[in-house]
Amino acid sequence: MNLAHFASQSASVLEHVIFATALFCFAVVLLRNAIGLGQLLVATWVFATRIEPSEGARDLWTRYADLALPVSVVAPAFNEELSIVESTKALLALEYPEHEVIVVNDGSTDATLDRLISAFDMEESHRIQVAELQVTAIRKTYRSRRYANLLVVDKDNGRKADAANAGIGFARTPLVCVIDADSIVEPDGLLRASEPFMHDDGRLVAVGGAIRVANGSKVEGGSLREIRISRNFIPQFQVCEYLRAFLTARVANAHTNTLMLISGAFGLFRRSVLIEMGGYRHDTVGEDLELVTHIHRHMRERKRSYRIAFVPDIVCWTEAPASLEGLANQRARWQQGALETLSFHRRMIFNPRYGRIGMIALPQMILEDLLGPPAELIGYVLIPAAVLLGILDPMAALVFFFVSVVFGCGLSVGTLALEEHQLRRTPTAKDLLRIGWAAIVENFGYRQLNLWYRLKGVRRYAKRDSTWAAVPREGFNA
Amino acid sequence: MTSLWPIILGSGWIVGAILVIFAVLVLRRFLDERSADARKKEDAKITRSYLRRVAGHPPEDKGKRWSASRRLVAVSHLQSLLRGGDRSRLMQIAEFDGLLTETLRRSHSVGVSNRVDAIRLMQRFGSEACIARLRQMMARDRSYNVRLEAAFALAATSALPPPRETMRVLAMLERAPNRLDMALLRASAPDYSDQLVLLLKDGLSERWHAQLVDAIGWSRNPSVAPLLEEAAMQSSSEIRCAALRAASKLGQPCVEEWVKAKLSDPESEVRVQAANACVALGLTSAVDALAHLRSDEHLWVRLRAEQALEQLAPDLLAITGKAA
Repeated sequence: MNLAHFASQSASVLEHVIFATALFCFAVVLLRNAIGLGQLLVATWVFATRIEPSEGARDLWTRYADLALPVSVVAPAFNEELSIVESTKALLALEYPEHEVIVVNDGSTDATLDRLISAFDMEESHRIQVAELQVTAIRKTYRSRRYANLLVVDKDNGRKADAANAGIGFARTPLVCVIDADSIVEPDGLLRASEPFMHDDGRLVAVGGAIRVANGSKVEGGSLREIRISRNFIPQFQVCEYLRAFLTARVANAHTNTLMLISGAFGLFRRSVLIEMGGYRHDTVGEDLELVTHIHRHMRERKRSYRIAFVPDIVCWTEAPASLEGLANQRARWQQGALETLSFHRRMIFNPRYGRIGMIALPQMILEDLLGPPAELIGYVLIPAAVLLGILDPMAALVFFFVSVVFGCGLSVGTLALEEHQLRRTPTAKDLLRIGWAAIVENFGYRQLNLWYRLKGVRRYAKRDSTWAAVPREGFNA
Repeated sequence: MTSLWPIILGSGWIVGAILVIFAVLVLRRFLDERSADARKKEDAKITRSYLRRVAGHPPEDKGKRWSASRRLVAVSHLQSLLRGGDRSRLMQIAEFDGLLTETLRRSHSVGVSNRVDAIRLMQRFGSEACIARLRQMMARDRSYNVRLEAAFALAATSALPPPRETMRVLAMLERAPNRLDMALLRASAPDYSDQLVLLLKDGLSERWHAQLVDAIGWSRNPSVAPLLEEAAMQSSSEIRCAALRAASKLGQPCVEEWVKAKLSDPESEVRVQAANACVALGLTSAVDALAHLRSDEHLWVRLRAEQALEQLAPDLLAITGKAA
């Protein structure tokens, strides 16, 4: 009798646990989608009311070129012998009144440095490093005999953050633009990204810009010649993801002063602030996210008025992983980086001293990066199981499906609609349809796979795994 | 569980609406692509027709009714290609065609971006009516961004009001100066240098005083040189820096002595600016003082001095080597 009673009590407790977990998973997914919808609405408002860069202002920008803050473009390069010359030429050709290109050879084991030396007629120089932010040794610096605004820094290998720090240390201009060596910056991308500094009264410390996936596009001489959409589904799914991230989430976050991430592929920063902070952290795989979080912390702890802006126009193109292996590495790394950042800055979370960053942005990051992935994955398994066991009404499973998958499709397609209405950078109606189809299909498999990869990132974080798994690239014209 | 239906229906409706909007946009794009060739041909015809009229020939396709927006596109395109008399004639013809009226009507739109588009077109027309409307918008539009845009359009057509009015309308003194303010003040300097000088006596904050001194350098008026020298002696380092920037731009030989003297200013940022000014003015007589600055206690001064020497005396650098 007692055993039966115990069994019945245990079953009842289990039912309650399953019910409570299912409810929690549902609540997390619902909240994430509600935030997504809110961001889409805010982004729509921002785009609808924005004034496109004026020609009149551009004209004055040209007439008074000395008003444009000089920029150092820092491009860390590791084993880029095949593309470094073309990429550097494209950077030198950027439209901007005064910019310097600093290529940092991060201990490449191939002929990256030799290619640079011979292509740009470089000679050894004794350029003084203004601030030493890197932890590895600088071997030599080289100055081009043909291009006065090109500097090459050769250093021991130490990952992107260390290479970027070395470059920032050599910069002498008020602004530094940190990019990936394989990023394709739009010819006027630097000009557009620096435009917020025209209106700045001294508070602006960083500007991010929208980045798009270049897979399938025609790239020549380090520049984008023709925008095309890859026929491979994996890059197509990532086109949708990038649009969601850059055209809705970041636009909305910047509008509400809660922007937490400026992509490592392209970011413009005030050099003095980076130097005060000591540059990028070396002990994280998510250095770009950590840097912006650190800027918020640094400025708020010193009670300085500051602003971080975002330019919704596309300023840069990047190659996304085209294979599942590459995608898995990248997503696990992003997840690990997010958790590391949350851990480094945990004292900011729900701390009113850090204003909306502590009270809104970081809790949102917890929802997105800590609770979201496991909650959604568990929900996919637990809710149907609970329905089968008779713990939940079948209607609950239907609601979960609607809130997660159907609503997810809606948000992706909504972002595409926003892009088409405002920017129109998808080449043709056929491509638009193709991406629209991918935006729906991604919710049936790809999205769940991504959640799995992110859980792998959680595991790597728990194991303190600091190895850098390179993301295999196919090359732009593959 | 019936309480869950609103969630399903709500999600369904939102997603349905989004899908419909997307389908409409795809259809619009598809139709645009299909008509692209025909549109290009028609645009070419409109352009050709205007070119013929500008040259005094009768237009092709007489009586053809093209929409105002298409004709505006063609006129804007041609306007940037034509110069002198041809350009004036084109704008007159466009006014006769009622395109100016259409633009002026658009400048009264509710949407900010529509009004800004109209401002950009009016800037291209550049007629008296446009300038009058631009002044009106700069003075009275409810949106700050529109007022600013109108100010830039007026600056581009050299029709900015006096600086005191520009500063009042854009409420410049109520905030810290930015680079756009600097550009507007510099743009008004050639026409209103006397008024900028008068503004200096208003007891403005140091930052604004510095902006005005900077702008005076763009006046192309040599008589302001003594005033810059006076500014270079002020206690505020920001004003001294502005005086050096202005002197670099003015390019008058009479500033040489005091510019060189500023190489030994107690503030490092003034010494940096003075080194820059020496390069801008080509002051080879400052080489000794610049060489001395290579051992300055401030890194930025040493760096700028070295850069200045690279340009003013590259041979000297080759002999003495680079500073450590």
